[in-house]
Amino acid sequence: MFRYPPAAVNPEIVQLRHMRWVSLLEGTTLVALVFVAVPLEHLGGYPLAVTWMGSIHGMAFLLYVWMLIQTISGGDWTWPEILRAGVAAIVPFGGFVNERWLRRKQAGLSLAD
Amino acid sequence: MEYLWLKALHVAAALTWVGGEFAVALALAGLPTPRGEAESRRLRALRLWDRTVTTPAMLLLWGFGITLGMKGDWFHSPWLMAKLTIALALGALHGALSGTLRRAAVDPLRSVGSWPRHAAPAIVIGVTAIAILVVVKPF
Repeated sequence: MFRYPPAAVNPEIVQLRHMRWVSLLEGTTLVALVFVAVPLEHLGGYPLAVTWMGSIHGMAFLLYVWMLIQTISGGDWTWPEILRAGVAAIVPFGGFVNERWLRRKQAGLSLAD
Repeated sequence: MEYLWLKALHVAAALTWVGGEFAVALALAGLPTPRGEAESRRLRALRLWDRTVTTPAMLLLWGFGITLGMKGDWFHSPWLMAKLTIALALGALHGALSGTLRRAAVDPLRSVGSWPRHAAPAIVIGVTAIAILVVVKPF
């Protein structure tokens, strides 16, 4: 019988590290969409900026939601934590705040190991 | 021609993804607790497949799907909206299965519960509905 969790590769820590990257990606594409692409369309007359940035952000948002479902399905998350991570995805700059929170959560798991 | 290539790759990614999702659903259905080393090793191998093949196939599926929808100007079609809703539900199910597999693979004492037993039938229903919507385009 092997030990749980394996000392070198706690999958929850790896999962949170991936989640942080995806949170940054989602947050960055949302900021680019809201503060770059939308002004480009309305002030600069470039509607394609929203079309393309919207698609890229759509992919990043889907990935974030999928990763969140995957993370909470394997981890022991509370409802307020799930709600917080969900709201972070729809608020501009929320992804960056979320990344810092996930980093602290990851550090807590590392200490517990 | 480019559209047909995208469509072919979209279908290939879908088949790979759904196959992988079925594998996880069936592996978790009726999983005993506690599990022996052989069972845990099988779950870890499946998790490796899920991370390296099934999940990338899902990401490619989304990418090809969005590109096809834009190129074909399908996003105004009701059938596609219905299909997307079902595809997202299947994606959410895969996320839940994948997360459960992650924990089950490393913790032989953790019960996965009884819900994964319903996952495979749900996938069959979802995939059938998607096939009908895409081929027949009823609305």
